[in-house]
Amino acid sequence: MIVQLCDTSASFCHYPNTRAERKLISVEALRKALRMAMCENMTVQFLYPDYALPSEYVELIESVDHAKVAPVGVTDEADIVVLPSLDRADEVKEGDTVCVRISRAELCDSVEALSALLRRVTRLNVSLTDSHTAVPEELPAYADALDRLGETVKEEYARGHFVQLNLLTDRLMLKQMNNCNAGAETVTLAPDGKFYICPAFYLEGDSPVGDPDAGIEVPNAQLYALSHAPICRSCDAWHCRRCVWLNRKRTLEVNTPGRGQCLTAHAEREASRRLKERMDAAAPGNMFNEIEKLDYTDPFEKVSR
Amino acid sequence: MSDTKIKKQEEPWQGGVAKNITFIVTKDCQLACKYCYLVGKNEKERMSWETAKAAIDYVLDREEEFPQESVVWDFIGGEPFLEIDLIDRICDYIKTELYRRDHHWFDSYRFSFSTNGINYDSEKVQRFINKNLSHLSIGITIDGTRRKHDLNRIWKGSGPERGSYDDVVRNIPLWLEQFPGGGTKVTISSADIPYIKESVLHLYGLGIHEVNINVVFEDVWKEGDDRLFEDQLMELADAIIDGGWYESCSCSFFSENIGKPLDPELENQNWCGAGMMLAVDAAGNFYPCTRFAAYSLRSKKPLIIGNVRDGIDQDKLRPFLTLDRLTQSPQKCIDCEVASGCAWCQGENYDAADTDTIYQRSTAICLMHKARVRANNYYWNKLFRKLELEGKKEEYEKNKPEANASLTC
Ligand code: SF4
Ligand code: SF4
Ligand code: SF4
Repeated sequence: MIVQLCDTSASFCHYPNTRAERKLISVEALRKALRMAMCENMTVQFLYPDYALPSEYVELIESVDHAKVAPVGVTDEADIVVLPSLDRADEVKEGDTVCVRISRAELCDSVEALSALLRRVTRLNVSLTDSHTAVPEELPAYADALDRLGETVKEEYARGHFVQLNLLTDRLMLKQMNNCNAGAETVTLAPDGKFYICPAFYLEGDSPVGDPDAGIEVPNAQLYALSHAPICRSCDAWHCRRCVWLNRKRTLEVNTPGRGQCLTAHAEREASRRLKERMDAAAPGNMFNEIEKLDYTDPFEKVSR
Repeated sequence: MSDTKIKKQEEPWQGGVAKNITFIVTKDCQLACKYCYLVGKNEKERMSWETAKAAIDYVLDREEEFPQESVVWDFIGGEPFLEIDLIDRICDYIKTELYRRDHHWFDSYRFSFSTNGINYDSEKVQRFINKNLSHLSIGITIDGTRRKHDLNRIWKGSGPERGSYDDVVRNIPLWLEQFPGGGTKVTISSADIPYIKESVLHLYGLGIHEVNINVVFEDVWKEGDDRLFEDQLMELADAIIDGGWYESCSCSFFSENIGKPLDPELENQNWCGAGMMLAVDAAGNFYPCTRFAAYSLRSKKPLIIGNVRDGIDQDKLRPFLTLDRLTQSPQKCIDCEVASGCAWCQGENYDAADTDTIYQRSTAICLMHKARVRANNYYWNKLFRKLELEGKKEEYEKNKPEANASLTC
């Protein structure tokens, strides 16, 4: 269960959150939801706003096992630090797990800043804000930037710092699909005390899929599962978030990705493959996955053949 | 030579290899049929020449994106022949452009119409037909006997209800003269069930040898309809076999290929052609099929995949092009022992779904399909027994029609 504590809680993912007006979830709703999470054996992640929470909230939060996703500088106890912009990278502490939202163009222009960050953190999660709009002509520049970031990863490994960069190392380490799974395995409690598929669905004004009293009932829940996603289930870009919110935005179906998301994930998969080759040359016998070279850049081409 | 003939259903022209492009030329019609799925019919939305031309140019400018061997240019309404001047201009333009561009569809095209037949004999329509005869498919919709036809197919307007049977039937001889193999499409809703047998036989009697008949996909069925339906189909089976109609006529209700379980891997394809087709309306919007246009939908917003100015948004086509049977079917259909031939309409699935998805199969016809399967089994058992007794079974087996997975939209 993801709990978006306030309307202004920073986005940690593909969706933007432009809400500026504070609206904190009610203590009552939070209490009910946490009770439900414990009864249903759900793990809980809290999305923090950029201000200190009242003590009753802190107390409640601490009463359950959880992870904190918080903007940089808000709490020393964040499990995942959300960086609103690379300009504030200095505030990140050594060993943090950091999440940053940037566009592909920004990423290409910020390889050095990202590399500097990679040298200090345990894990860097880059959420692209525009993966869904990618077209083939834009990908060589992205691939080049990924290769340069790969070089940093390789150097860090060489000095014993096993940093993770979701765009490159996840595909090298995962053994199967590891997508966002919103709607199938995760659900979001929003500040209105109701459940949504993910924060993006709440922010976009979707209907809720339940509340702590009535329980969770996702209509057509099967469509959020990998088994019911004809393109994704034949894909091996295991690191891809397979964002159901972007899917719906682009194709009108939560189970079908648009071309941009697939092209981007495959540029990353291919960059991971190249990184593996370079790692093999530098450090034979490493534990990274072998990655096969593909003859497509979008699994749709394979499925619709 | 065999004298045992069993009329098989005609395959659609270039079935499977033709691109289907539909112009919704008007949303107006002279009739106000009670079962009409076009909930948003109106007199205002007529396609302009500029929109039609832009749609044609869009398609012909992108020959590589439309690689199908052939094309069927479909015209629907409302009643398409209300816009005969526009249609004539469209068809002339298409022919000229195919020639001018040396397009691979030159001489591999059809113009297709589904009409209520009312102004079929008008001078303008006849001039158009004679000009394009060798490239035309025209189906006239007639529901059967006067009683059955007039039950639903009534003239629009206030005042006492007036059926359209006479206005259509008078054009049947001319139509059959021009299109000797002409078939008709009959749609069965709950109230029509008692008239199925007499209607099909009546159509055969009018000289229409191919009757494509479907139950509507919408959830209109009442308790007991399936029993009634089965009884009607059994009576129809008796009449077709005892009367020897099977030699010269076909009725799509009876097919050797329905009512079997389907292989989850080998027979996992989608039934409906939505997404392979392209429809364009008066506003210049593109749809995966006409059933996704606003005027066809009861409860969902239109599913627009682009327009003549900005083109087709290929992302919006992806769900259609990767849709398979199992992903959209509930478990009961996956396990179903009589699944083959149980059809669906993607548009109705979308309209009836709990969310805005094409991936939730509506099974409103479930009991009706099962009833059809029972009657269909009866039909073939009875027919084969008859052929056997007449010593013609073996000949039939040798000459029997090939498997036919024709669409029933
Ligand atoms: S669906 Fe998942 S990946 Fe997409 S925005 Fe929501 S949480 Fe992020
Ligand atoms: S790359 Fe495309 S097909 Fe593969 S998991 Fe991601 S969204 Fe799905
Ligand atoms: S709708 Fe009914 S008859 Fe048709 S496949 Fe499903 S279970 Fe079988």
